[in-house]
Amino acid sequence: MSSSRLCWPTPNGLPAPGPSAILAACVLLLVISASSVELDLVRLFNAIPRMLEFGGHLLVMPDWEYLPTLGVNMLQTIEMTFLATSIALIISLPLGVLAAANASPHPMVFHVTRNLLTLMRALPELVWALVFVSAVGLGPLPGIMALSFVTVGFMGKFFAESIEVIDLRQVEGVAAHGAGWLQLRTFAFFPQAFPDFVGTVMYILDHNLRAAAILGLVGAGGIGYDLVMAMRMFDYDRLLPIALSIYVVVTALDRLSDRFRRRLI
Amino acid sequence: MSKIIIRDVAKRYANGFEALKGVSAEIPAGSFTVILGPSGAGKSTLLRTINGLETPTSGSVQIGEHPVTHASLREVRSQVGMVFQHFNLVDRLSVMTNVLTGRLSHRSWLGSLLYLFQRCDMDIAHDALIRVGLTDKAWNRADKLSGGQQQRVGIARALAQQPRVILADEPVASLDPVTSEEIMGLLREICTRDGITIVVNLHQVEWAKRFADRVIGLNAGVVVYDGAASSLDRATLSRIYNRNGDQVDEQLETMLAYA
Repeated sequence: MSSSRLCWPTPNGLPAPGPSAILAACVLLLVISASSVELDLVRLFNAIPRMLEFGGHLLVMPDWEYLPTLGVNMLQTIEMTFLATSIALIISLPLGVLAAANASPHPMVFHVTRNLLTLMRALPELVWALVFVSAVGLGPLPGIMALSFVTVGFMGKFFAESIEVIDLRQVEGVAAHGAGWLQLRTFAFFPQAFPDFVGTVMYILDHNLRAAAILGLVGAGGIGYDLVMAMRMFDYDRLLPIALSIYVVVTALDRLSDRFRRRLI
Repeated sequence: MSKIIIRDVAKRYANGFEALKGVSAEIPAGSFTVILGPSGAGKSTLLRTINGLETPTSGSVQIGEHPVTHASLREVRSQVGMVFQHFNLVDRLSVMTNVLTGRLSHRSWLGSLLYLFQRCDMDIAHDALIRVGLTDKAWNRADKLSGGQQQRVGIARALAQQPRVILADEPVASLDPVTSEEIMGLLREICTRDGITIVVNLHQVEWAKRFADRVIGLNAGVVVYDGAASSLDRATLSRIYNRNGDQVDEQLETMLAYA
């Protein structure tokens, strides 16, 4: 037996039984589920000509007269994104503190807040938008409400998790000098969790922009309505500009957030 | 400025470890006291029961006229500053803001939500920074400073609250010898000039002898010596650093030789 024989860092050199079993179970699950969702390679292969045909339709001269409307609707989508994220941010900050095990005033409050946040993000934006559209009528308002609602669910959870990993020694340093409950949270917890907060907000802005782009599907404002209509009416000359504009805005936001984050952290 | 009375304080942690087994001591106002003892003797626990960072299992602590209880915690802490081994500054805040956190017990929660202080707080914090010689670093981020500088900020934070007592838990254990001497000198100067009662946990016998008025020797949760720093002799030191009644080992002999 040569000494260069490959082995794993376990007592006997064989793969660890626990992880191997989990990996095997995952592969098995994938194989089983592939057939139940009709993931069929033959069908996929046969669909290639149709996909090419659809792709060909996209390459038409854009509908120039539609562009101003596209701009207005895109602007509305961006406004919805920023408004919903800002509203959610204001609500999530206190909820995040209540939902963090080390900052919550009482275990009871912690559990209730955690469950509330789970409930808020349990259903996707589109479903909440349906609910709010039937409550307040069509337009961007129900879209903003739905977006804020789900965002609070995510942001509150992310904030709580950033608060939970902070260094308690720094908290003790402030606590030992007689700071009160809320003062501890603003002066010792918040500064430490801040870089994570910024990262979270940037990620969620990105996510919300894409979410806002499809809320129009159920009549909750934004570019989504145009997108669906263009799809249904085979208005290929509108489809490509819409998709492109979403791509451009998402990319721009991504660049912006990168630069912003680097300056702050 | 305030005397500290410790009565039969015992502390047993949740894991069953008995850190303090009935410690009593009276620390006079305006004195400089050093608590000596090997690691795990209960020095930190004792110091932390004084400002309520630890709650004693039995016994009580009194600072000036105030007994340290859960209800009086904020009141007590507003008069007791603390200096830590690892400085415990808020890394991302500026030096000035860290020093200003020493003023928080005098400010309302509403103003603090917006990081608001009063002009007089700024003046007090500025004076504290002058005392420790760090005015030029006031607006630097705390974690950009060296260890010695961070400890000075820690002392400035304690000073800014204009305390009656300063507790220092191994304030020089993570610093080099020269910086350590500066820090000890600074604490001694604060004690002498402002008359603030200072209690310091230390490893170094040498510094206890040089800076302290009084030494409390702690071993395995029991006070084994309580008296003037000047009358610390070899017999006493070997009693303080004795482990489980074993013979004094070689390392200790070497250490005592230098003491």
